[in-house]
Amino acid sequence: MTFLEATLFVIAIYIALVLVRVILGPTIWDRLLGLNAISAKIIMSIIILSLITNQPYLLDVALVYALLGFIGTVLIARFIEKKETSHD
Amino acid sequence: MIDLFAYLLMIIALLFMAFGVIGLFRFKDFYSRILISSKIETVGFLTAMIAFTILSGISFAAMKILLITLLVMITNPLSTHAIARSAFLSGYTIDQETGP
Repeated sequence: MTFLEATLFVIAIYIALVLVRVILGPTIWDRLLGLNAISAKIIMSIIILSLITNQPYLLDVALVYALLGFIGTVLIARFIEKKETSHD
Repeated sequence: MIDLFAYLLMIIALLFMAFGVIGLFRFKDFYSRILISSKIETVGFLTAMIAFTILSGISFAAMKILLITLLVMITNPLSTHAIARSAFLSGYTIDQETGP
């Protein structure tokens, strides 16, 4: 196992831990925060995969994922604005 | 030698991200969590991207990684600000916190 594969493994563990926060977060904004954190970690994972397999076209996928993740987070945040707060 | 420096930067970035994940569980209220997530995630991402740029050498891929770094450096605080603004405008205060 090379160093980059071990890094990918550690980032996968971080994603699983943040997913626990998304599942048991008290409010919808905690879940949105976890979604944002997972999005940043997935971009990092795609770049590591591009370095391991030595295929530079995967960087375009990471670029598009960054743009779409930002647009999705802002759209959901604007959509749930001024709705009533839910505690479930 | 230069690869060893990149690996050291990568370990530092993984430590930053570990602090972010721990802080996401340790803090009690929402605004502390969003603060720790925003700052630590951005710093960990920047450090990891510098390590990747060093690892890929002087090439076209290094310029693309720098472009992604610039993009995320702008959009990550913006999206965190959008989440905090949405929570604040919806009347979410710390007193209402009932979670763990």
